[in-house]
Amino acid sequence: MRRLSPERRKRRTTLTLPMDALRQAEQIARDRRVNLSSVVSEVIAEGLRTHTAAARSGQIMNSYRRAFTGLTPEETMILDGIVLAPSASRKR
Amino acid sequence: MIDPASGPFLFDTSAESWLARNDHPEIHRWMRAYLSRHLVNVAAVTVLERIRGYALLWRRARGDARERIEAMRVAYLALPRRVWTLDEASAVVASEIMALLPQPPTPERRTHRLAESRRERLVRWRFDAMIAATSLVAGTPLVHNNAGDFEAIRGAIERWPQRFPKLGPLELIRCGSLV
Repeated sequence: MRRLSPERRKRRTTLTLPMDALRQAEQIARDRRVNLSSVVSEVIAEGLRTHTAAARSGQIMNSYRRAFTGLTPEETMILDGIVLAPSASRKR
Repeated sequence: MIDPASGPFLFDTSAESWLARNDHPEIHRWMRAYLSRHLVNVAAVTVLERIRGYALLWRRARGDARERIEAMRVAYLALPRRVWTLDEASAVVASEIMALLPQPPTPERRTHRLAESRRERLVRWRFDAMIAATSLVAGTPLVHNNAGDFEAIRGAIERWPQRFPKLGPLELIRCGSLV
């Protein structure tokens, strides 16, 4: 027998859900002619994806900050491609 | 307000750092929402400008400051992003922009003690042309913080559409209009 990958394996469980959310999920299941488990699985997967993405975006933002913080305005300009040098009047 | 979900967008060099450094809660929220859906897209020229910047700062720094700059450079290079290379199509478009607008539309930048040379200003202008060309060829709106230069390029493309067949308009989004 072929083994399913961990993400495709299923396990029966009992959930206690808010009545309103459950009613909406049942309605979606009826409209799409699928069972309630499919709809709830889909909603959980989407929620987890959003949660993971939000955590990931926070990590990327922190990395971005590490790459840019602690610079003077002049240093930031140089990092943005504006190459500055002591002006001619100052050199003299 | 620009919907972060409507990306991906190409970020100009200064736009990328402006968004990363900005502490305004709304900008922060917008950037997090964008990053939860898309990668930051940049032109290879932006990587060039940025790494040249780190290298120049490293050369000017001493001791601990050098280590700090190097750590920042490593952090920048480790970021997940999509880099658009300057391919043949982008090179053709960039060349047309440079021929139509050989001189920078805005003057050299300066601070109270430092100044950008005319030569460096021309180099930066040509880099901007390459970034605009990358955006145009990729069909990805360009988020920028440099209206003077990029609006001039958009205007030139609109005046000479025959030089940019099947391309354009150049879609520009100012950093300030994101939220």
